[in-house]
Amino acid sequence: MSQLMKQHLLAAALVGLLTLLAAAPASAQVDLSGNWALLDFQNSLKAGPGPFPNSFQGIPINKDGRDAALSFDNESLSELQRECEPWMVHYVIQGPFGFRITSVVDNHVSGEVVGWTISGEVYDRLATTIWVDGRAPPPPQALHTWGGYTTGVWRGDTLVSTTTHIKDGALERVGVPSSNQEVFRMFITRHADLLTITGIIHDPIYLTAPYALAQVFQSTTTADPSTPAMHCAPELEDTRLASGYQIAAYLPGQNPAVMYMPQHYGIPLAAAMGGAQTMYPEYRKVLQKEYKPPTKYCTQYCCERGYAGQAAVCKTRN
Amino acid sequence: MKQLLRSAGRAGWLLSVGAWLWSPGPGAQAAAPPGNPAAKATPEEQTPRGFDLPGYWVSIVTQNWRFRMIVPGRGEYVEIPINLKAKQFADAWNPLTDEAAGKQCEAYGAAAIMRVPERLHVKWQDPRTLVVQTDSGMQTRLLNFAPAATEHAAPAPANESWQGYSVARWALHPAPPAFGGGAGAAKPQRQYGGMEVTTTDMLPGLLRKNGIPYSDKAQMSEFWEVNGEPDGDQWLTVTTKLHDPEYLQTDYYFTSIFLKEPDGSKWDPTPCSLTQ
Repeated sequence: MSQLMKQHLLAAALVGLLTLLAAAPASAQVDLSGNWALLDFQNSLKAGPGPFPNSFQGIPINKDGRDAALSFDNESLSELQRECEPWMVHYVIQGPFGFRITSVVDNHVSGEVVGWTISGEVYDRLATTIWVDGRAPPPPQALHTWGGYTTGVWRGDTLVSTTTHIKDGALERVGVPSSNQEVFRMFITRHADLLTITGIIHDPIYLTAPYALAQVFQSTTTADPSTPAMHCAPELEDTRLASGYQIAAYLPGQNPAVMYMPQHYGIPLAAAMGGAQTMYPEYRKVLQKEYKPPTKYCTQYCCERGYAGQAAVCKTRN
Repeated sequence: MKQLLRSAGRAGWLLSVGAWLWSPGPGAQAAAPPGNPAAKATPEEQTPRGFDLPGYWVSIVTQNWRFRMIVPGRGEYVEIPINLKAKQFADAWNPLTDEAAGKQCEAYGAAAIMRVPERLHVKWQDPRTLVVQTDSGMQTRLLNFAPAATEHAAPAPANESWQGYSVARWALHPAPPAFGGGAGAAKPQRQYGGMEVTTTDMLPGLLRKNGIPYSDKAQMSEFWEVNGEPDGDQWLTVTTKLHDPEYLQTDYYFTSIFLKEPDGSKWDPTPCSLTQ
């Protein structure tokens, strides 16, 4: 073989190898890193001003969950000992914020991405790291936290995460509880500049069926939507709680706002009390017999304010 | 050395072209190298791994319940980025007038149908066309796949319709190219992925049954993904982006979640209604 031919072959092999390596991703992971702004057109009422009192429709709660929710007094959030409690890990698709995702790289041995961290929200939610290096979750008796412990695997371009070891807390801000048996699964899929997170909450203590939610985020380079975590210092918010560690709660049968949804939106009480049956389409037949649409034009939370550069549709959001 | 670089340049160009042909980019139609039998695979045969769409699916209404399960009250427009013109339209809208005019399916058009509480029946009509039928409103969406990246899907119909004209394509996760290819080479596995759908040519319709409109200028992009859980549950999430220069201030994004059912025993065809 001539020297020239050897050079040609060597060059072809070298360039071919480099080209193919460049054409193929180094691993199966999609780059999720960056700032993600929330596109909240389906949860902003719940995430912003908060859910209406005793509105559990569409939540597959059981009797224990409902009883606990009906004992919930919103004032409890102002108790000094609770003021700084963050929401649970599932708040990532229920809260009013976007976030920053950063990769966690093993800089010491492999140099590979071993996890993805979703930043926290002020002091509302703790950061969550999804470990994708194949590690096993800790044993069942290990510490349970608000953020839980999360592992993940890539299924194509979808990161499938599973969170366990979550403390008792809130499934929804309306007082619906979540237990320390909860398993929270996320399917995180990037569609170009959009990120969809489908979250499935399993809770054998308070739910009779999985509670499925989804949220959409958009990549942004103009702003950091993830407000950095802040220190929270309890302070007196409600003078009625000034005497110290009171527990704000309603005794069974004494919740004064049980009829809020029937009175304000004509929703039958049985529907407002939730349960798995209320999230399936056939429940509309029950509603058709009992639902009475409001007779008056909307008076609160009617429409969005005008967006940047646009005329206001409503003077205020309320 | 110069000779080596020149050689590298020639060989590199050829191999670069080869590698480009070989490796699908993000969201690319599933393509196979020329000469490979897979190059003639139909969209049905190219279905991404794990994307088991045919069958029956039920809406899981956990979000926007008050705007989906019941007819919302007049003036309840929150969570849709409508403009003033849309608000004025909705304020003046009367369901009885439109029902009398035979427009009772205007709240079941393509831009709204995936959020209607319903069951879906999905099947292949032919190897290039997915059919999505709904029991609520008894609507039919046709998702037309282009035969190949260089060809076009079936031509759009001349007239607008409630469900418009949808073009679908697989969005495949890029995978490393298969090396070798000899007799002993392992058969490449199907790639994971989802489906992208763009819809145009829609008749003007309603996003909610209280009069919030979308126009015939609206264009819709959807991302369909199927995800499985260890217990066997299959979840379909459809992420929708609606662009409507006439009635929306910004693009409107929302998701629709469905759970797969074992059969069609709960299928319940119900005609369109603007009042129920």
